[in-house]
Parts: sequence; C-alpha cells; structure tokens
Amino acid sequence: MEYIVFVVTAIIAAVGAVAMVLSKNAVHSALFLLLNFGAISVLYLLLRAPFLFVVQLIVYAGAIIVLFLFVVMLLGAERVEDTPDSIAWQRPLAIGLGILLLLEALYVAFSRTVGAVTPVAQRNEDFASPERIGQALFSTYLLPFEITSVVLLAAIVGVVVLSKRSGRVEQAQRALEHDADGRSEQMEQVMERVG
Amino acid sequence: MSNLTWIILLIPAFPLLGFLVNTFFIRDERTAGRVASGAVILAFVMALLSIAVLQAQPEPAEGGRRIDYILWEWISVGSFRVPFGFLFDHLTAVMALLVTGVGAIIHVYSIGYMHGDVRQVRFFAYLNLFIFSMLMLIMGDNMLLLFLGWEGVGLCSFLLIGHYFDRRSVQPGINPSGAAVKAFVVNRVGDVGMLLAMAAIFSRLGSLSFYNQDPMLDGRIVPGFLAHVNDIAFAQLDLGAFGTIGIATAICLLILLGVTGKSAQVPLFVWLPDAMAGPTPVSALIHAATMVTSGVYLIARVQPLFQASPTAAGWVVTIGVLTALLAALAAVAQFDIKRVLAYSTISQLGYMIVAVGMGAVSAGMFHLLTHGIFKALLFLAAGSVIHGAHDHQDMRRMGGLRTKMPTTYWTYLVGALALAGIFPFAGFWSKDEIISYAWFNGGRPVGAILLIFASMITAFYMGRQIALIFFGQQRDTTYTPHESGQIITVPLIILAVGAVIGGLINFPGLHWLSDFLHPVFATPGAPPVDETYTLGQGILAVVTTLLAAASGYAGWYLYTHGAVARRVRIGQPDPLYRYNGDIWTGAEIGWGFDWFYDHAIVRPYRTASRFLSDVYDRQGIDGTLVDGTGRLMGRAAESLRGAQTGFIRNYVLIFLVGVVLMVGYFALS
Amino acid sequence: MVPTNYFVILSAILFTVGVIGVLTRRNALVVFMSVELMLNSANLALVAFAQARQSLTGQILVFFVITVAAAEVAVGLALLVAIFRSRRTLDVDEVSTLRG
Repeated sequence: MEYIVFVVTAIIAAVGAVAMVLSKNAVHSALFLLLNFGAISVLYLLLRAPFLFVVQLIVYAGAIIVLFLFVVMLLGAERVEDTPDSIAWQRPLAIGLGILLLLEALYVAFSRTVGAVTPVAQRNEDFASPERIGQALFSTYLLPFEITSVVLLAAIVGVVVLSKRSGRVEQAQRALEHDADGRSEQMEQVMERVG
Repeated sequence: MSNLTWIILLIPAFPLLGFLVNTFFIRDERTAGRVASGAVILAFVMALLSIAVLQAQPEPAEGGRRIDYILWEWISVGSFRVPFGFLFDHLTAVMALLVTGVGAIIHVYSIGYMHGDVRQVRFFAYLNLFIFSMLMLIMGDNMLLLFLGWEGVGLCSFLLIGHYFDRRSVQPGINPSGAAVKAFVVNRVGDVGMLLAMAAIFSRLGSLSFYNQDPMLDGRIVPGFLAHVNDIAFAQLDLGAFGTIGIATAICLLILLGVTGKSAQVPLFVWLPDAMAGPTPVSALIHAATMVTSGVYLIARVQPLFQASPTAAGWVVTIGVLTALLAALAAVAQFDIKRVLAYSTISQLGYMIVAVGMGAVSAGMFHLLTHGIFKALLFLAAGSVIHGAHDHQDMRRMGGLRTKMPTTYWTYLVGALALAGIFPFAGFWSKDEIISYAWFNGGRPVGAILLIFASMITAFYMGRQIALIFFGQQRDTTYTPHESGQIITVPLIILAVGAVIGGLINFPGLHWLSDFLHPVFATPGAPPVDETYTLGQGILAVVTTLLAAASGYAGWYLYTHGAVARRVRIGQPDPLYRYNGDIWTGAEIGWGFDWFYDHAIVRPYRTASRFLSDVYDRQGIDGTLVDGTGRLMGRAAESLRGAQTGFIRNYVLIFLVGVVLMVGYFALS
Repeated sequence: MVPTNYFVILSAILFTVGVIGVLTRRNALVVFMSVELMLNSANLALVAFAQARQSLTGQILVFFVITVAAAEVAVGLALLVAIFRSRRTLDVDEVSTLRG
C-alpha cells in the first residue's frame, strides 16, 4: 500500500519539478513548484514526520509560493525569455553535467550503501510527534532556535532596507521613462507601482 | 728645519682646496678667478719654501736630498704595498716650480681672458683640479700615485678641452666635444702601456715605489724598484713565436707607449692639434707647459730602467726625432694660429724626448723649463691676438697688427725668437744643448743633423707666422683690432722677461740646473760629467744659430715681400701650395695619422656601435625580448579573458563542474 | 516500509532537475524557484535518513532549513525587486557588467 502511494507521489513530484523547469511562463512555473511542494509534504507524511508535513505546507506552499507569485505579478515577469539565448552551448552542457551528477549519486546510492541504510530496529510510531519535536527544539536545540529568530529578524530588516525607495532611484526612473520608447504598457504600469 | 717636511703637503693642498671651494661654494665669476689664482700662487710660494726645507735636509750618500712624506699606507695586500706618499727631491722641485709658477701666471691671465664666459666658475675649478693632478703626478713617490696624477690630468684635459661643449664647431672647424673625447681616448691607448708597464714592474722588480720607503716606520721596507733594475738587466721574456725580448726593454717600450700618448709623440699625437678647441689658457697651461711634459718627467724619473735597455732608449730617440721633424713640417702648412703652436709643441716635445732618451736628463729638463715659459708666452700672446682680432683665429684674416697691438707684438716676437733658438734667448741655450749632446756625447750625429733641420723648419714657420699676423696689410677689414687690457698684457711681459733671461737656468759655465739635478741621476762612484765646452760645441752652436736665423728670416721675408705675400687671400690655400701641391696638403692634415685612425678604427667602431644600438639593442633586446614578452603576456591574458563572460550562469556551470568532479572523486575512491 | 534508498534516489533526481533549472533558465525568478527545489530535495533526503535511524536530529535540521529558506527567499526577492528597479530587466544574462 505504502509503495503505491510512494510511487504515485514521487511521480507527481518529479513531473512537477520537470514541468517547472520547462515551463515558459513564470506563473506556471510557480504553480508547478507548488504541486511539487505538495507532493513532498505527502512524502514527509509517509516518512512518519507529521510536523514537517504541516510546516512544509504552511511555510513553503503557503508563504513562499505566494511570495513568488506576488513578485512575478508585480514585476510582470511572466515572459522574460522571449529573446534567443546568447550562450546556446550552455543548455546541452548543463543537461549533460546534471545527468552526470545524477549518475554519480545513483552509483553511490546503489553500490556504496548495499541494500539500505542500516535501519534501527525500534519503530516507534510517534517518535517524531510534535511533542517530541517541541521538546527537542526547546531543550537540545535551543541555541539554533534562538539564532534562527535572529536570522529572521535580519531578513526582515534587510527586506525593509532593500525595498526603500531612494531619491536617486526615482530620478533615474523618471529619466528612463522619458527616454524609453516602445515599452510595453505593462512595464509602464509596473514603473508606476514600483518606482 | 728638518721637521718642517710636512710643508710639501701644502703644495698640492692649496689647488685641491681651490677646486673644492670653487665647485661647492662659489657661484660668482670674479671670486672664482681670484680664489683659483690665489690657490696656485700660494702653491708656488709653498714650493719655494719646500725647496728651502729640502736644502736643509742632510745630504745622503747617494740619490740626492729627498723628502718622502708618507700620509698612510694606501694598499697593503701581501707583498703588494703602495703607500700614499709625497716625494720632493730636486727633480720634483724643478717641475713643481714650473707647474705652479707658469700656472699662476696663466690663472691670472684667464681672469681677464675668460671674462664674459658663461661657465667661468667651472673653468677655474677644473684648472685648479688640473694643477692638483699634475702636482700629484710629479710628487707621487710610486708609480701608482704617478698614474693617479696621470689619469687626473687626462681627465682635466678632457673637461677643459670640452669647455665649449655646447658649440658644434669652433675655429677652425673642430667639434669641441669630439676633440675632448679624442684626447681622452688617445690618452687611454697610451695608458694601456702604462698599466702593463706597472704590472711588469711589480711582477719583475717587486714593488712600484721609486725609492726605498718605510711607510709604517716599523722596519718593513718597501723596496724602491729603481735601485734593483740591474737585477733584470739581462732577464729575457719568451714571446713564443716572436722570439725573446729583454724584460727591461719590454717595460721601457710599454712606458714609451704611455709617453707617446700623453706627450703627443708619433703615433699618438693626433689629439693635440684638435685640443686647440679649448680656451686659449687651457692650451697654454696644459698643452704647452705642463701635462704634455709629464711624459718627459716620467722618463727622467725612471732613467735607470732606460739605461738598462739601450734598445728601448734607441726607440725613444728615434720616435723623438721623427716627431720633431714631422710636426715641424706640419706646422708650416697651418693657417690657424693655435694649430701652428700645437704642432710646434709636438715638435719641441720631440726634442725633450730625444734628450731624456739619450740620457741627457738635465738638458731635457732645461728645454722643458724654457719651452714651458716661451710656449706659454706664445699661446697667451696668441690669445691676446685672438681677443684683439675679435675672435678670429685664421691668420689669413689678419695682417698688419703690429701697429695696433704693440705689446702683444713685441712679446710674441720674443717668444718666437726664443722658440726658433736665436741667441741670446732662452730657447737657444736649451735646444743647442740637446743638439750638441746628440752630436758629441750621445753618438747620434744623424739625429743631430735631423734636429738641426727641424729647428730650421721651426724658425721658418715662426717667421711665416709673425709675417702673416703682424706685418703687411690687414686682409680682413671687417673688424677693428685693439690691444688687450693689462690683466692680459702684464702676464705676457712677465713671461717675455722669462723667455729672455731663461737661458741663465743652465748657462754654460754656470749650469745651475744640471748641478741641481745631478745628485738625482748620478750613479755612485761614476766619474763626474765633463762640463767643459770644447771648440766643436761652440762651432756647432754658431752654425745652428745662423741656419735658424736664416730660415726665420726667409720665412718672414717670403710672407711679407714678393709674390707669395701678395697671394695670401682669405679662404684660399697658402700660396706655397702651388709649388708643393699634395705635400702641402699632407703637411696640413698632420701627415694623415688622423685620417688613418678615423678610417681604420673610428668608423668601423661607430658602425659596429650603431648596429648594436639600433639593431641588436633596440630591435632585438627591446623589441623581441622585452616588448615581445610584454605583448605575449598581453595576448595570453586577452585570450584568457574570454573566460570572464559576465554571465552568472556560466560561473555556476563551472561551479557544477567542480562539484561533479569532487563527488566523482569521493564516490569512486 | 518503503526502503530509504528510494527516497534518496528521488531526492537525487529532484536535485538534478533543480541544478539544470538554475543553469538553463534566464528568468531570475525561475532560477530562484529551482534553488528552492534543490533545498527541498535535500530536506527530503534528511527526513528519509531521520526516519531510518529513528533520530530526531534530521527533522530538527529540516525545520531549520525551512526557516532559513523562507528568510532567504524574502531577502532574495527583495534584491530582485531592487535590481529590477535599476536595470528594468529580470534576465540574468543582462546583468553582465563584470564581463571581461
């Protein structure tokens, strides 16, 4: 039973990932990524990690994808890659190297670790329950936990600073507006909103 | 008084001080001249005082009175010991008086002559440096110090000849920097001989010091090589396929090479006529009275060496006679005042070299002294003529200056008569002593006849010169000649007086000079030189004087009366060219020595240097090696620059390549 | 129980896809999304091993990775917006002034 769920979910995850990479439209890419995240959260559930299942959905699927979509729409970045690729040799080389990396990883997975990672005998069904995770977080891993809060604070401050509009940027934008011809309407609107 | 021997140090000290003060402190021309002249006058006074101190020394058994003041031990390497010491004996005293005395007069003259020149301070500094170097040369108590002075006077000659280095050409068409370089290079050729001679002296005779010395006063004597010459009198040097040569002969010939360079003998005299590109006081001091006589001094100082090698002495005499004759003939054909006097100097030096080559040292020194006086007089008077003729030096542009410049005329005439050897002027006594020594004592009658012939030519060209300058009509009327000021004429008069009474220095019967010098050169136990004058010598003296007077008159007459005189024109060759043609041209260019050196040595050398500089250096080393390496690096870097595409994706790709490799390594190992 | 190896293989595949996405796409936002994909694949592997070894450490680590990834996305997107303001483009190939 579990195998079937695993195979289906794995296929969905893989397809989502590949579609994300292949899609020309950035919004489509984001949505495929959402699909992928969803599949991965189900896989977490299969791995007896209910807490992470929820966290993945809330943070990744709920916040990060939304953020991505927000920015895509804000910047009007659905179609950026209409112009032909200037370094055409990059794509085949990248794919080749990627496959090489995959093969190396598969080799390690199959030959170096014969069979499986040595499983530990005891299979406590709720060894990763939220209570236990909470206990671990606030006892053994308290320091990283607190530091993470500092990281988040730094991120917030950074985002606020980066988003500030400085006077010079405004003037430059005004100048660009006057110079630019043939800009799409979308870009005009974006400039209004962003600048 | 014997502990006042340090006073000899003051003789070179004052000119050295003058040089340093002029170089570093003085910027004002008037002060420079006075400081320089004062230094040399003080040196002259010190020389006189030193003679007094010398005479107060105890007379040793042999060698004459000598002060050897050693300052410190300069070089001490094993058995090679060279102290820095000053020698003062009779020979040095005589030279020192000449150098400082004539030098002082010329310094004073230069104050007036160089007035208005842009580089007077430098000029006087170099003059003082020259006097210092010359004094080092004559007061050095070993060959190395002598060589120090030798090089020093060569250097100062270079510096002073090139005084007008910013002019491309001075009369009569000489480039001053080129002349200075020529002087230095030709001297250098002679110096090779000097250096090899010094090496030979040290290796065969054990030391470079002339006389025994005890520099550290501790009993470790540095032997003087002059006393040991007899040790090698018969030693031979094997030259392989060239046979053998006596050591003493070899050393003497090498010294002779040095002397021909410095004293302008055949074949290294070519620098002296061109050295006239320097200011006239320089010609007077360096190229008449002092530097060129250092070769004569050297041969006099190392007499024992030349006495040990009759072959070399014979060569010395031969070269001296040859030079005297060739230079005199060349002087006839010159039309530049100073060039006539330059060739005349070369010729008279030949006389001196003949004298010391034969062993008649006091005769040679006598002629050195008198020549120093009247040649300096002639040069200074020529300077006065040039000055008064508005810087014209071509005799074809002069004429009839006798009435316009009387003092110059009379002093010039006195100098000319002294040079020609007319009784009773100074030159007669000294030149005659050499000729009579050659005929009677030296056993060289042929040489004596040639010398007489040369003195006839000498008188001829002096007569010609006097006629062209002072008699007849002024041929170039574009200028108005004037007499020079007192600061110029007073030294002329002083020297003229010297030229008249100079014969008293070694007057037959009195012979003060030869008595003075005798102890230096006498070998102990030898019988005294016969100083009586035979009838033969008297007849010889009369004959030579009459011949010289006749030639002089002929030269004067030819160029004042008659067809020849009328045909002297500006820019035209001499009227006598008509009769002699190419011989005259040959004489005018100094018998082709210069031409030969130019074509055989200078031009190939210049071509080779130009090749090395333009092709090998600029194209080869600069272009290929230096620039080529740079350009190669540049191109290599440019080609490598292609990796910096600026695309982030490319950089991540490289990143991935690294990751793949690393994972592969860890996976497979 | 699904063998841990299968999860690891899936993780490797997802990681590779993410890498190719980073290298191949020119839209900066898609590149960013590929990076998130790579992070997720690592998380997957971690949880798989945590389950196999019955150890909480792996899951705690994933928790922190998710948190930091969130912060990183926020800052990164703010950067992207700032770049867009000055350059008016989201094509990563346009931002190549370090060329040469």
